[in-house]
Amino acid sequence: MMQRLLPFLSLIVLFVGLAIASPHFLTDTNLSSVVRQTAVINIMSLGMTVIIIAGGIDLSVGAILAMGGLLGTMAMEKGMSIPAGLLIGILTGLFWGTVNGWLTVKLSINPFIVTLGTLGIARGLALIISNGLPVHRIPPAFSFLGEGNLLGVPFVLWLLVGCALLTHAILEHTRLGRYAFAIGSNAEAAVYAGIPVAFHTTCVYAFGGMLTGLAGMIEASRLMTGQPTAGNGYELQAIAAVVIGGGSLHGGEGSVIGTLIGAFIMGLLSNGSDLLGVSPYLQQAIIGAVIILAVTVDELRKRKLA
Amino acid sequence: MLELRGIQKRYGGVTALKDGNLSVCPGEVHLLMGENGAGKSTLMKIVAGMVARDGGQMLWQGREVFLRAPAEAARIGIAMVHQESLLAPHLSVAENIFLGREERLPFGWVARRRMLERAARLIREHHFPLQPEWRVGKLSPAGKQLVEICRAIQHGSSLLIFDEPTSSLSGAETEEVFRIVRALRDRGMGVIYITHRLEELRAVGDRVTVLRDGCSISTGPLAEFSTDRLIQDMVGRELVSIYQRESLPPGPELLRVEGLSRAGKLREVSFSLRAGEIVGMAGLIGAGRTELCRAIFGVDPVDAGRIFVEGREVRIRSPREAVAAGIALVTEDRQKTGLALRLPLAQNLTLTNLPSISRFGVLRRGAESRVAADYIARLRIRASSGKQLAGRLSGGNQQKAVIAKWLFRQARIFLFDEPTRGIDVGAKAEVFDVMHELARSGAALLMVSSELPELLQVADRILVMRQGRLTGELPGRTTQEAILRYAALEPENLS
Repeated sequence: MMQRLLPFLSLIVLFVGLAIASPHFLTDTNLSSVVRQTAVINIMSLGMTVIIIAGGIDLSVGAILAMGGLLGTMAMEKGMSIPAGLLIGILTGLFWGTVNGWLTVKLSINPFIVTLGTLGIARGLALIISNGLPVHRIPPAFSFLGEGNLLGVPFVLWLLVGCALLTHAILEHTRLGRYAFAIGSNAEAAVYAGIPVAFHTTCVYAFGGMLTGLAGMIEASRLMTGQPTAGNGYELQAIAAVVIGGGSLHGGEGSVIGTLIGAFIMGLLSNGSDLLGVSPYLQQAIIGAVIILAVTVDELRKRKLA
Repeated sequence: MLELRGIQKRYGGVTALKDGNLSVCPGEVHLLMGENGAGKSTLMKIVAGMVARDGGQMLWQGREVFLRAPAEAARIGIAMVHQESLLAPHLSVAENIFLGREERLPFGWVARRRMLERAARLIREHHFPLQPEWRVGKLSPAGKQLVEICRAIQHGSSLLIFDEPTSSLSGAETEEVFRIVRALRDRGMGVIYITHRLEELRAVGDRVTVLRDGCSISTGPLAEFSTDRLIQDMVGRELVSIYQRESLPPGPELLRVEGLSRAGKLREVSFSLRAGEIVGMAGLIGAGRTELCRAIFGVDPVDAGRIFVEGREVRIRSPREAVAAGIALVTEDRQKTGLALRLPLAQNLTLTNLPSISRFGVLRRGAESRVAADYIARLRIRASSGKQLAGRLSGGNQQKAVIAKWLFRQARIFLFDEPTRGIDVGAKAEVFDVMHELARSGAALLMVSSELPELLQVADRILVMRQGRLTGELPGRTTQEAILRYAALEPENLS
C-alpha cells in the first residue's frame, strides 16, 4: 500500500512545495506549460510501461522520437497534408518498435543491448537523412497539435488522456496486456503455458514505438521544427517515470496511473528547477539519481518479499 | 582419519539426516550408497563444510571439528570433486589449480611462470591427460574433474570426496577416473565415493556404507555385500502406505510415442498412454526422464521419433503445439516454469486459455473470477481468493494451481515430472486425489517420480528408464527391488 501511495504523496509534496517556493508556479501559463512539457515524456512513458511490464526495456525511444518527428515533418515539407505527416510519424515509431521487438525475440539478445544498438542506428540514420539540419518549412496549422487548446484545455492533455485510457485498457482488459504481465513475471512459465511469447513481445515493443512516434510529432509541433537531435536523453526520463510509478525492471509490475504520476513528478522537477534557477545540467544529474533511488526502493521491497 | 557419529540435519521441516555414521581410513576407497534423497549428498556437504550440521559429532584425525565454509575444510585437508564443475571456464588449467591461492611476487604480482611449472609437474606426476595452458571451458566433464583433483592434491588434501563422478562420463573416461581413484588410494589418501550405480562399485570400492532415509543402515567390507543385499539395504523392507488407488479399466490410447531419440539424452523411446491410466516412470537421476517429458512437450528438439495423439500423428516443435494437441506438462520446478509467482492466482489459472474468457480480444473479468472460484473449489486450493498472489500459496496449493491451469485448457494428456517434490505428506495425498480424478475423467497421465513407494501406490504400470533408454515395463504391483534392478543394472546383468 505504502509503495503505491509514496509516488502520489511525493507528487503532492512537490506540488505544494513549488507553490510555496515560487510565485510563478501556480499561474495558468506555467501550469499549462507543465502539461505541454510533460505530455511528450508522458506518452513515451506509457509505451515504456508496457515494455517494462513485459520484462523488457527500450533505450532507443529518444532516437525513435527524433526519427518519427523528422520523417513526419519532412513529409509535410514535401507537401503532404498534416494528418498524413502525423500518420507517417506514428508509423515510423511503430516500425522501429517492431524492429526492436523482432531483434530481441529472434536473436534472443538482452533488450538492453538491442535497443542500445537501435538507438545508435536510428539516431545516425536521422542525421544522415536530414544532413544534420532541422526541418523548418512546416504548415503553421501543425502547431495546434502541441500548442493548441480544445475546450479551454491544452490539446495534448486530451491526447494524453486518450493514450492513457488506451494503454490502461490494453494492460488490464486484453489478452496482449495479460500476456505482457505473464511474460514479464516469468517468461519461461509463459513458454510452458503455450503462449506465443515471441509474437506478443514484438507487439509490446511495436506499441511502445507507436506511442513514441506520436510523442515525436508532438515534440516537433511544439518546436515547429523536425530535429534529428530531438529527444536526446529522453529514455532516462521515460524509464524514471515508469520506475517511480511502481514499475519493476524485473518485469511483471507497473501501471498506467503510476507512470502518469511518475512522469508528472519528472515534469515538476524540471519545471521547478527552471523556476528556481537550477542549472539544466544539474537537472540531468538529478534525474539519474532519482532512477537509482526508485530502483533501490523496488529492490529492497523485493528482498523483503523473498 | 574421519569419523562421523549420529550426524543430523534438517532443512526447514524436512529431515535430511537423522543418524549419519561413517568412518574412513587413509588408503581406502569408501563407497557411500543410497537411493535418491537418502541423505548421501547432505552428509558429504557437511564433511566438506558446505552445510553446517544440526547435531552429532565429526572427528577429524581424532579431534572434533565444526566446519563453517568449504575453505575451512580445505585448510584441514578435505576436498570435494563436484558433480557439476565449480571451475572458472575462461581460465587455464594452471590458473584454476591455483585459484584463490596464487603464488605471489612482490607488489601483488602473480608468479605465472612458477605456477605453470608446478601445475605441469603435478600433471606429469599423475599421468593426467592435461596441459597447464589449456582453457578449462574447452575440457570434457572428465577433464574438468581431473582439474578439480589436481586442485585438491596441490592444496595438500588427504581426504577426497567424489560425488557421482561418472554420471556424465563415457565408458573410457569412467575407466580413467577409476584408475586415478585407485592411484590416489595407493598413495595413502582417503577417498569417499558416492554412487548409486551398482555395477561400477566393485571396480573401485574397498568398504561400503549404505544410507537410507537419513540413517546409516549398514557398513562393512564390500566383499561381504552381495548386489542383492545392497539393493535390499538401500530400499528397506517396510512400505508405509499413505495412499491406495484402485485401477480403472483403461480406455482408448491417447498418446503413443515411437522411437523418440535425442543425441546423448534419449535413445529410441517408445511407449503409449491410455485414457484412465496413470503410468509411472522410474529411473535414477540423469536417466533421461525429465528430458523425455521436455521432448514430448516440444521444449527440446528431437532427432528422431513420432508422436501420436488419439491415433493421429502430430508434429510438436514447441510447447505451443503440444498444448494445442492437448498435452500438459506439470514441471519439476513449478516456481521456475509453472507459475508467474507475482501474478494473482486467477490470472495464472486462465493464462493457458485466455481466448475462452475473452470476446474480440477483450478479457471478461467476471468470467475470469468465476473460472477461478470454480477451480479453487473443485481442487480445494487453499487461497483467500483468486486475487491472492501465486507466490504466496503453499507448495501443495501451487501444484494444484498448475494442474488447474491445464484443466482449464482441457488438456487430456498430462505429463507430471516429480509432482510431489517439496510437498508435505498431507498435500501429497491431495495431489494424488486430483490425479486420480483426472484419470477417472478420461485423461491419460505419465508420472515421473524418484519416490518409488509413491509410484507403487499410484501407478497402474511402471516404465523404467536407464541412460536414455526404456529398460523395463512392470505392473503397478511390483516391488522396489525389481524397479531398481532395471534402473541401475546393465540389461545383460538382469536375471
